[in-house]
Amino acid sequence: MRASHLALLPMLLAAGVACAQDYLSCQLVPGWAQSGPKRQYTAENLYDYKDGGAEGYLSYGFTRMQGIDCKSGGTTLTIDVSEMADADAAYGMFAANRDPRLPIVKIGMGGQIQPQSALFAKGKYYVEIVAIDPNPNGDHTAELRAFVTGMQERLEGRSTAPEALDWFPKDNLASTRLVPESVLGLKQLKRGYVATYKQGQAFIVVEASPESAAEVLKELRERFDGASSVPVGDEAFQAKAQYLDGICIFRKGRYLGGYTNLPAPQDAASQATKLAANIP
Amino acid sequence: MNSTTSRRDFLSAGLALPVLSAGSRMALWQSSENPIPSTPSSPPKLSYRTLGHTGLKVTTVGFGCMITSDPSVVQRAVDLGITYFDTARGYQHGNNERMVGAALGNKRKQVVLSTKTEARDKAGQLKELDTSLSELNTDYVDIWYLHGKNSPDQIHDDMIEALQLAKQQGKARYVGISTHSGQQQLLPWMAQKGVFDVVLTAFNFSMDPGMEQAIDAAAKAGMGVVAMKVMAGGSRNQKLAQNGAMLAALKWVVNHPHVATTIPSMTDMDQLEENLKAMEGAFSEGDQKLLAAHLERIQPFYCRMCGKCEGTCAKGLPVADVLRCLTYADGYGQFALGRERFLELTSEQVAVRCGDCAECTVKCPFGVQVSSRMARAQELFA
Repeated sequence: MRASHLALLPMLLAAGVACAQDYLSCQLVPGWAQSGPKRQYTAENLYDYKDGGAEGYLSYGFTRMQGIDCKSGGTTLTIDVSEMADADAAYGMFAANRDPRLPIVKIGMGGQIQPQSALFAKGKYYVEIVAIDPNPNGDHTAELRAFVTGMQERLEGRSTAPEALDWFPKDNLASTRLVPESVLGLKQLKRGYVATYKQGQAFIVVEASPESAAEVLKELRERFDGASSVPVGDEAFQAKAQYLDGICIFRKGRYLGGYTNLPAPQDAASQATKLAANIP
Repeated sequence: MNSTTSRRDFLSAGLALPVLSAGSRMALWQSSENPIPSTPSSPPKLSYRTLGHTGLKVTTVGFGCMITSDPSVVQRAVDLGITYFDTARGYQHGNNERMVGAALGNKRKQVVLSTKTEARDKAGQLKELDTSLSELNTDYVDIWYLHGKNSPDQIHDDMIEALQLAKQQGKARYVGISTHSGQQQLLPWMAQKGVFDVVLTAFNFSMDPGMEQAIDAAAKAGMGVVAMKVMAGGSRNQKLAQNGAMLAALKWVVNHPHVATTIPSMTDMDQLEENLKAMEGAFSEGDQKLLAAHLERIQPFYCRMCGKCEGTCAKGLPVADVLRCLTYADGYGQFALGRERFLELTSEQVAVRCGDCAECTVKCPFGVQVSSRMARAQELFA
């Protein structure tokens, strides 16, 4: 009996691998058939498919895309699966493209389904499905949900959003995203998470070491005339800045964080204290 | 982001003016009451051109908002006097339009604002335009483009009807097409068609000289020419980023008299201030040397199509033609065009694999590594 189970093991493993590779199939949902060949793009030729929009993918470490069109009746679903640099980048791509006015649903690391499109990220994969229908007001939520469910079961990788997002205080939080370069429009803040609140915004940037984080903080402080030290995290300053209003930026270990666009620097420092307390 | 507070403070300081005069730009630059997040030393000198027969006056350096994530950079650009801003319905699934609309705020009517549609039919296009207007928080766009059309056969009559209807309804003041490849065929067709006001085209120092002729002809036909991809992928090209070559690449385009404006992507204040310098002076000998050095670096990879290949291929391959295909893909980012041209070879030629030959019988007088480049073309296209 045990021997027969062992004999089945390679077959089961093979089936599992095949299952993982079948995330891109029109047969995931009954009634749909593939139309045309599979698409494949790399960073070198994504412009051919996405035109200028390719820049957005490349900024999140795009490596390759595979896609198919599935047809049923007069409706075509265009399904594209992009492989990004890592799971954080895939989540970042999703967060940049989702509608921040709508809630995130639990699909992989996060997803959104609307009447004519669906987006989600799981592991290093970022998935987009667009319904093309002669009726511009057609509602394809059910079909999109069915495909999304089938795909996310087959895609490998992490199903939890980046840990740093949990560090942002939740009161009046409107949305979060990963900015791939120049957080707050400042080149010193290379890549980081940004939380938008009912009033103001917060950010977290992870540097390689406490020393490099301290160097960045020093550079930033020199940009803002009238910056004054405040007791937040390991070191911090607050200032009043054009475009960013009241701002407070702190360092805690190798993390840089802060609040901007609040009425006064003191308000920013008060909020930054709460953020710093959440960073381990 | 709460940008209104910032704007209010700015106004109360008496520093915000509509399209800024030189004096007010100086005041803005020197303001210490509301320090700007950068360390500039002098105000920007702006240059302007007219966008074809639209008559719109635009700064020769505009702003491609595509990958900008923080509205403060757009706000700063407006305050410094940039007058052309470009986005598209498809960028970040509409989030980019929303960011641009919020950033421009009540200064929207001081600038020329363009967006684009990728919809495939008239109804879809018009629906997208309404969405764009809503997201941009405006009741019209200055220019509305069909997004990413690379040949006349991609542009159907109902798409042109949508453009014309949008103009009649006052939702778009002018219309055009954005294109990444096929310009030498597309631009003359647009000029002959007579219904397009503006073309947004890829254009940079590394492109085929035939591109300049196509642009000149379009401008002479009255179309406004807006250039994109002006840094030849330089923003992601570390070699070009060295020694001011990116600025030289932008100046190369800005100094082309038939290009009205350019739309380099910008994500931060430093890039913005660096790009503004492209309006300060002519394309110099030093700029020429920087770009020539860059072309020199890529010489082992890119065929200059001089027709001076030494020797002939033992298997009958038209080496220069195949390398041109590769240049389309690797050099100009036009993979589809490269593949299309490659597949025009005979089936016997397409089947040849250069790796099968022990030694290549063709040599390039300029040092292009013929055998390995041919093998790459076969790997990419065959």
